[in-house]
Amino acid sequence: MSRAFKPWIVAIAFAAASWQSGAASLDLGRIFDIGKDVTDATKGMDEKDEIAVGREVAGRMLGAASLVPDPGLQSYVNRVGRWVASQTERPDLPWHFGVIDSTSINAFAAPGGYILITRGLYEILDGEAQLAGVLGHEIGHVVRRHHITVMQKSAAISAGARAAQGNRNQLVNNLIGTGAEVMARGLDKGAEFEADQIGIILAARAGYSPYGLIEVLHKLSARAGDDASLALLFKTHPNPGERLSQLGEALAPRLSTLPSGKEPVIRQVSADVPAAAANPAPAAGARALQQEEPAAPPRPAGKSGIGIDPAGVLRGIFGR
Amino acid sequence: MRRTLKRLMRALAVTLLIAMPAAAQQVTLERDSPLYAEPRLESAQVSQLKQGASGEVIGKQGAWLNLKTTGGSGWLFSFNVRFQSQKAEGGDAGGSALGRVFGPRQNVNVTAAIGIRGLDEQDLKQASFSDSQMKLLDGYAASKQAAEDGARATGLAPEKVDYLGAKK
Repeated sequence: MSRAFKPWIVAIAFAAASWQSGAASLDLGRIFDIGKDVTDATKGMDEKDEIAVGREVAGRMLGAASLVPDPGLQSYVNRVGRWVASQTERPDLPWHFGVIDSTSINAFAAPGGYILITRGLYEILDGEAQLAGVLGHEIGHVVRRHHITVMQKSAAISAGARAAQGNRNQLVNNLIGTGAEVMARGLDKGAEFEADQIGIILAARAGYSPYGLIEVLHKLSARAGDDASLALLFKTHPNPGERLSQLGEALAPRLSTLPSGKEPVIRQVSADVPAAAANPAPAAGARALQQEEPAAPPRPAGKSGIGIDPAGVLRGIFGR
Repeated sequence: MRRTLKRLMRALAVTLLIAMPAAAQQVTLERDSPLYAEPRLESAQVSQLKQGASGEVIGKQGAWLNLKTTGGSGWLFSFNVRFQSQKAEGGDAGGSALGRVFGPRQNVNVTAAIGIRGLDEQDLKQASFSDSQMKLLDGYAASKQAAEDGARATGLAPEKVDYLGAKK
């Protein structure tokens, strides 16, 4: 894709960034006449465009944390992921999967089929069925176009579309200025719960035990809330216990009909690969900023930063 | 030489993990739940457990856990329990302990050591696009056919399963 953005891509990316920021502090829909603008802004957004957004986001994500230097592992995760994705209504998207070198426990999905899982999460998985469940959850976000759908419902895209007519900084300033935190927490949770359910079914369709994802959620539920590797997870998403309860309710009527599936052994990270990076290498500018402002308090999500926020557009199993 | 040493260290760690006696996996009931004689809804109920009751996991089958309680042993949905925090085990809180229930992997890499941090929000916000990493990512992508071949070689076969609730 050309690195020059179409204005609406910028708008959507920023809308997502705002959406992810959590609390719905301001309902722009009541300020703007959003219906028409939302339609206009997303009209003509086809699959190619969706992939273009996802590719930009994934590229920035990889700018923050590199792929684990283990080609065998990366190919393996791609085979598993693509097999699970082949069981969906969108089997022909250009699916990409990667394990990124971070100790955080998280996984991310960007539009168009870009899915990244941290090494921290990968290394607590006990089997391929669990990997399939985690990837299935992420694939669910992509298949159901959660990023796009939720953004269409949010007024942020309207503000983004308006602002995108100006220059990029203007767009940023407009969004920051209006405090575009419009996505209600409930909707966010709804997308997560739906992706959980999809993940389970996709794993089952692929021939795996459907319960891998549940086992992973149990693992996370058992981890202490102050575990630093889960900070982003607990900050932004429904807690694993709540997700287990939701899944239990949804699954109960179907338990006796789901296939038991297989639980193949998962591939280990190669012994030759050093432990996960102590510090993923952010952009040089970011490092410089960190050095200059060591005591700066964390800025509220969605209200800072210039440029597209990859964290915002990514949909994660345990984080964003 | 260094690589060999590293492998030896890993082998030693694996040996220690395997040799470690499996700690009892304690769970707490999240809600009132019947305990069944077998892992299926149609089987006889052994007892009715109350929210807050605890038990020890002695096995699993699909979505079911085999639980030993003071009131007897039986099966219940794993959704209805929460595993107690295993933080005391060290950096891999919960992970390795639950591994004994959910099929322990042979090599648990404890990563949550002091001084190591992961990817945080600011890293993501401030990162710039990496062309070289995207080229790598592209190179690792699997075709549909390659994925299917891999799955078949693993003994996996596709199943027809409807979405839950079928919300399209």
